[in-house]
Amino acid sequence: MAITGLGPHGERAVPANQVGLSDADADAARSRHFSVAVVLHTTMSDWAKEELAGIVATLGRYGAAVVEVIDCAFDIDRQISELRRLAGEPVDAVVSIPIGSSRAADAHRAISMAGKKLLLLDNAPTGMLPGKDYVSVISTDNFGLGQIGAELLAPYVPQNGKIGVLAYGVDFFATHEREIAFRKWMASHRPDLSLVRSKFADVSQARSATADLLQANPDLAGLFAVWDVPATGAAAAILDAGKTIPITTVDLGNDVAADLAGGGLIKGIAAQLPYDQGVATGIATILGLLERQPPPWIALPGLGVTVANVVEAYQVVWRAPAPAALLKARKPRKNTP
Amino acid sequence: MDERSNADAETAQPRRAAGRPRASESAHGSLAALLNFVRTGEATTRQELENQSELGRAVVTDRLATLLRLGLIEEGELGPAIGGRAPRHVRFRPRMGMILAAVLDHSSLAVGVSDLSGHLLAEHHEAVELAAGPEPVVQRLATLFAWMLEEHGSEGGIWGVGLAVPGPVEKPDGQKLFAPALSAFQNWDGFPFVEQLATLVGAPVWARSGVQTMTMGELKSGSGVGLTDMIFVKLGRSISAGVISEGVLHRGAQGAAGMIGYTFVEGGNLETVAGSEALGREARQAAESGRSPYLAEALARAGEVTVTDAGHGAQLGDPFCIDLLGRCGRAVGEVLAPLANLLNPSLIVLGGNVAETGDIVLAAVREAVYRQSHPVVTRDLRIVRSQMGGSAGLVGAAQVVAEALFDARFLQGWITLGSPREHPEFKDFLARAAFDTSARPAKPRPPGGPFA
Repeated sequence: MAITGLGPHGERAVPANQVGLSDADADAARSRHFSVAVVLHTTMSDWAKEELAGIVATLGRYGAAVVEVIDCAFDIDRQISELRRLAGEPVDAVVSIPIGSSRAADAHRAISMAGKKLLLLDNAPTGMLPGKDYVSVISTDNFGLGQIGAELLAPYVPQNGKIGVLAYGVDFFATHEREIAFRKWMASHRPDLSLVRSKFADVSQARSATADLLQANPDLAGLFAVWDVPATGAAAAILDAGKTIPITTVDLGNDVAADLAGGGLIKGIAAQLPYDQGVATGIATILGLLERQPPPWIALPGLGVTVANVVEAYQVVWRAPAPAALLKARKPRKNTP
Repeated sequence: MDERSNADAETAQPRRAAGRPRASESAHGSLAALLNFVRTGEATTRQELENQSELGRAVVTDRLATLLRLGLIEEGELGPAIGGRAPRHVRFRPRMGMILAAVLDHSSLAVGVSDLSGHLLAEHHEAVELAAGPEPVVQRLATLFAWMLEEHGSEGGIWGVGLAVPGPVEKPDGQKLFAPALSAFQNWDGFPFVEQLATLVGAPVWARSGVQTMTMGELKSGSGVGLTDMIFVKLGRSISAGVISEGVLHRGAQGAAGMIGYTFVEGGNLETVAGSEALGREARQAAESGRSPYLAEALARAGEVTVTDAGHGAQLGDPFCIDLLGRCGRAVGEVLAPLANLLNPSLIVLGGNVAETGDIVLAAVREAVYRQSHPVVTRDLRIVRSQMGGSAGLVGAAQVVAEALFDARFLQGWITLGSPREHPEFKDFLARAAFDTSARPAKPRPPGGPFA
């Protein structure tokens, strides 16, 4: 699938599979024994675990050690203080996923100002510039994820229906791009639909935010949630209200995958490939450390998942066999003569 | 205190004996002058304001009360006391209103939102099909603006929109403040783009050429911070330059300054030799003939080759790509050298997708400029690549509006009304736009017609 979104500064994406190391670069990296720290918003989610696995495996392949992994527990202040501390630590590079777009900018700048390479996952805080403040942003094509979410929802919504967006009320580039793309796709392909919106600032509020949306719009005929955890909250709220409203979302978490396979409210998922993103991040980190100037915006396409391909998609995304609940949903193979 | 009492207070002041009254002797003029002192940080206490403005204490106190009531300034912390009560600082409130910025290019659009100091709060870039005409684009901008405002709203709403378009934007004639004449895209000729945008957003729109806003952006937040003399060069499909001289953007008599792509060099004009389309064509020929193994492979893989592929090829040592980008850089440098000799800038910034291909273009530009310039001109001259990418245009478009809103002449027209949306000239503009839109055909005229 093509990458449709542009980077945080309007950059054209360079696909992750086109960014590689030459044999000479690989040898040079191995001889220098780089040290890298990784700062994540959480280390508990499946996404974060796979992302980290991709980063660690790739850096290991090129002789770099991951000397510290920091779990910020979604706390911006914690991220700021940890980055400021890391600026004084003997690491050569820091990989970070910025939470809180503009507030965390100065703390991230402290890394590059200390002479270390900074690699960003998913987004760059507004005002930070590639080459000066960071090396590259490595991200899934979030704009494409929003388009997939819209495309998978559209067939379930009747003419002139009303659809909702369950949006993240925090200034976060990735979820903003998903929402903008979802709206744009609907406006151009389903101009008959009207659109309403509800925001949550914390995932624990997703259920109540959906309940409010349902109360204000009893005729709601479809919903897009900007990632999977709030989508499960939204599904619960819809069931609470005794309704069956189709939902699409982003990220192939276990709960939404099982719901999709079991014929629940989830009708489609735009999946990211976090391990592959981790691999691309590892390569970009090594390139940056060798002063090879990797592209400022390295992107990976999203993967559209429906009940028809959920098992295969699960295997691709999580590099593990699909659980029994998913396998049961798989269509039996047609007998060929 | 309302406007009339301000005016009454003003008439109680002694007038100058002869000549026209100074601008600061009108209520509007003194309000505008004081606001700009506070906004720029030149004077932030009552004492400093009295000294800077040469207005009496009673007038300063009255005007500050009005500015406070309008929400344009707020009381700040206490300053150090110098024999007596510590002075209270006042400061500008940049979140009183919002500025929206939009950059249109041949294949993409960008939108951003900034506070009144021009500080960008958020930005978004997406690909766009301009072949569909201007109507969907203006609607798309309005949709994205509405979304951005929902995310970053302010008490005062939108105060102005900065619009950057490819190609020159003519300066308004005579005393008119707004210049809706936009000839950026040939098939948009005659379409009231600025009028429609201003009507949809409900705020005045300032339009500039893309290269001029990128230049402003580099000066505000990029490599040009703190400098007064610089040149920004956009090396893309078109080639043009923006000039900052003594801190001011040079727009030229018609607003079309900087069209260096039309300069003749060996092989044609600069754009047809070093523009991204010209380079892409040469790259494709080399791929098809097999002169460049790297480009041949890229063509086989993706079905097309662009200047970006040539950049990758050059980085990997492909001799054809290195030669192509070297020739491009030399041609650009030869056109820039006379400009450097004429203007003596301290910085030349190269932006656009040709500049982004890597260091070969940069090195060739440097070589040509240094070779053909007076030694004093190049002694401290830096030539760098832009690191702002597409953000430069957005930052610059917001900065154009921040400066225009508080330009003394424009500010006097709205300051007592509390918002630039209430400016009488803007109201007239909207009324004319409504009339023109109803009188015009709904679709733009086709290009090449008798009126094109």
